[in-house]
Amino acid sequence: MQGNGLKIGLTLFFLVLSGYYLYPSVKAYVINQRLEAMTEEERAAYMEEHYDDIRQTQERALKLGLDLLGGMHVTLEVRVDELVRELATDTDATFDEVMEAARARSASGDVSFIQAFVQEFEARDPNARLSRYFRSDEAGINRRSTNEEVAAYLEQEANDAIDRAIEIIRQRVDRYGVTEPSIQKQGTRRIVVELPGIDDAERVRRLLRGTARLEFRLMADPAELTRVAQSIIEYYEAAADTAASDTSGAAGTGEADTAAADPLLAGADTSAGDAVLGDDPVGAGNPLLAVMQPLPYGPGVVFGQVLETDTAAVNRLLRNPEVQALIPDDIELMYTASPVGVDQNGREVYDILGVRSTAELTGEAIVEATVDFDQFTNQPQVSMTMDSEGARTWARVTGANVGKNIAIVLDGVVYSYPVVEGRIVGGRSRITGLDSREEAQDIVTVLESGALPAPVVIVEERTVGPSLGQASIRAGFWSVLVGLLLVALFMIWYYRTAGVVADLALLLNIVFILGILAAFGATLTLPGIAGIVLTIGMAVDANVLIFERIREEQGTGKTLKAAVEAGYAKALSAIVDANITTFFVGVILYSFGVGPIQGFAVTLMAGILCSMFTAIIVTRIIFDYMIIERRATVSYG
Amino acid sequence: MRIFENANFDFIQNRTRGYIFSGILILISIFGLVTRGLEVGIDFSGGMEFVIETDAPLNVTAVRTTLADVLGSDPEVKTFGEGAILVRTLAEGDINEMQARIIESINSAFPGVNPRVQKTDIVGPRFAEDLKEGAVFAVLGSLLVIFAYILIRFEWRFGLGAVVALFHDVFITLGLFALLHHLLPFSLQIDQTIIAALLTIVGYSLNDTVVVFDRIREYTNLFKTEAYPNIVNRSINNTLSRTLITSGTTLLVVITLFILGGEVLRGFAFALIVGIAIGTYSSIFVASPVVVELRLRADAQKAARR
Repeated sequence: MQGNGLKIGLTLFFLVLSGYYLYPSVKAYVINQRLEAMTEEERAAYMEEHYDDIRQTQERALKLGLDLLGGMHVTLEVRVDELVRELATDTDATFDEVMEAARARSASGDVSFIQAFVQEFEARDPNARLSRYFRSDEAGINRRSTNEEVAAYLEQEANDAIDRAIEIIRQRVDRYGVTEPSIQKQGTRRIVVELPGIDDAERVRRLLRGTARLEFRLMADPAELTRVAQSIIEYYEAAADTAASDTSGAAGTGEADTAAADPLLAGADTSAGDAVLGDDPVGAGNPLLAVMQPLPYGPGVVFGQVLETDTAAVNRLLRNPEVQALIPDDIELMYTASPVGVDQNGREVYDILGVRSTAELTGEAIVEATVDFDQFTNQPQVSMTMDSEGARTWARVTGANVGKNIAIVLDGVVYSYPVVEGRIVGGRSRITGLDSREEAQDIVTVLESGALPAPVVIVEERTVGPSLGQASIRAGFWSVLVGLLLVALFMIWYYRTAGVVADLALLLNIVFILGILAAFGATLTLPGIAGIVLTIGMAVDANVLIFERIREEQGTGKTLKAAVEAGYAKALSAIVDANITTFFVGVILYSFGVGPIQGFAVTLMAGILCSMFTAIIVTRIIFDYMIIERRATVSYG
Repeated sequence: MRIFENANFDFIQNRTRGYIFSGILILISIFGLVTRGLEVGIDFSGGMEFVIETDAPLNVTAVRTTLADVLGSDPEVKTFGEGAILVRTLAEGDINEMQARIIESINSAFPGVNPRVQKTDIVGPRFAEDLKEGAVFAVLGSLLVIFAYILIRFEWRFGLGAVVALFHDVFITLGLFALLHHLLPFSLQIDQTIIAALLTIVGYSLNDTVVVFDRIREYTNLFKTEAYPNIVNRSINNTLSRTLITSGTTLLVVITLFILGGEVLRGFAFALIVGIAIGTYSSIFVASPVVVELRLRADAQKAARR
């Protein structure tokens, strides 16, 4: 029994350690139960009083994954291609061509966008210099810079961009108010954002990826815009005529190939009858007029009016290169941010506006933004104050354009385009045309945290609603409990006394697993719980191996004591071999998997380590005690 | 309680029957994989998945028809547990817009069901490529590490026997997934969790196999005069009780998980049930017989050289 002193000590040590690490989790559970039983006021008072305690407890408690807690896991990617385009001070046709080629290559291959960009450029003309597109006094990039220098500069800018983007997103998330958000860089271009307990995924998505590019732009000249609209309509008129004569109007769209490839467009076309301008005889057969009413208010800054459901079709028609050629370079077509009305069927209608391509003033001039309400309509709006330079520019622009519209553009859509009534001094402006207070609040949030250096896109998102999370917790809990009970009963039925000892080891095993998870700050996910359930089934394996061996040894006529000794000794190599391979699988799953899968890998690995300890050491202590100390007979069934 | 206490089955002598049975399973799997193929989940194909909970159960076909119009591409609609449906679409576009369109069209087609999004999984095409790459690395990595470990611990014949058994198990599990998807009332899509399940099967199957190998190694040293096939047969029989009990307890818990673990884990639990059953079978009827075959062939060559 002397040799067991160390084993007993080790077991007690681990038990105490597990207790120490699991205590906050138990406490957090008790506090939660108590809080739930309270009324609203009691709860607030209790939270106030025990704030630090609750916080500390929660921080140290076993963390639950978003799939159990409910929440949002979003992976964002910084659009390096857009960043490069913005860094370029001068562009030409070759630049656009190289951009396109680089985008295609980086999308399919392992090369980064910047590498692909440089290689594609050099492939077109080995002697040309990238420095003709980029200029930066700070980074020392000028006309004589080599391609390597420019590439290094672009890489540096891209790296800075992601770090800044993380900072800005952190500010936005903090302002939004999420408890315990996690924002981390993944690889070189991605940001992983984890937000527990989110109830409005749509709002968070907007908040995360909004570039917050605020611009004040002049609008297109009404006469010019009218001419543009007419030429585009004529273009599609001519195309529709040829298409009609070619295919007897079957496709009914200008570009036969677009219509064939695009079911959306064809679908929109067949519903021409109830489109805004469906009753116009000129519209029959003209694909554009079928989905858009041009110049709905006569000549002005409004280019056309579109049903929400038709926007995709209209975008496609307007994106046609030949149509783009009809639009002057200094005019850009943009949608209104919110619908301007509804049609007779209750569908929302948006305006397309003609806006100047260059911004007179950008959001960088904004020093303060607040939410308030229009004194007459009580609509939410965002009031902004500009810095002194911005205020001067604003005064000049407004003074020179009295009686004309100025568009307030945020992230490519027009929020409002008020008519300038007079020169505005003092640098104040506002964004109106907002749907709700939340929208106004979110705009303030993004404006105040600054614009993202480059657009970000959501490349992965996993959202779990709170009730599904609750259901998963319940399902996981019952699986563990029932699995444990079934295995425990089986072991007792099959191995009698020894089975009871093995069950004891199994219980201890689960305590240790949870202890390890809590100690390492690992997150318990639903696959993680599945890992625990699986471990319950596999953990008894070591004991099964030992017990079977003891039975065999007993069969050869050995005494109980000798049989136990031999059983443990001979089963050891099989146990180790069998467990190590599964442990390897756990390690690999952990290194290559993400999120929930890592949770599974962690519990699997913890389970293997713990089960080896409990099944080999703990059960041995108990048997030694029973057989040697108490001289009892132990039944191995 | 004792089962198979003094088991003495002629596993090795009748190994041809095992080969035939495995052969049939593999043929069925090939048939499934070729004719029906695997259903790849959005983790690896990219796309959007929404689980929508409603107050009243919805008719899946009706929802599919309704959504086909608004989403453009043909969406996949399935029931998801009780009172919820899963909508999966490959259409690309703004997430918010998609979600709004789905909710709005369900609202207008089935008034009063109060649809709420309970779960979304969105994976972009590039990200899906990365996940796929990660999965391939994970699978190849595990196989490599496992093979290396077996090579270090046992001689190469055992390593080959173990690997043959692993491929056998994973292949048949995948074959069943191919054969049964859309026929069973739960998702059998190949996604990250299924890869995790497959690797667990690999680990588990090996676990079983290694225990038998361990015994063969022990008996080879113990009974030097006995014929090799007999040693292997005796090893299988003497470990049979353990093999079946461990598989039994493990199957017990994964079946529990399958029944109680909820909709999210159902495919995962199903893979484990199939894999563990086949893994147990293969450690007896595939792994050890392969070792015997290799050994007999080597002996025959040695005899021929003399």
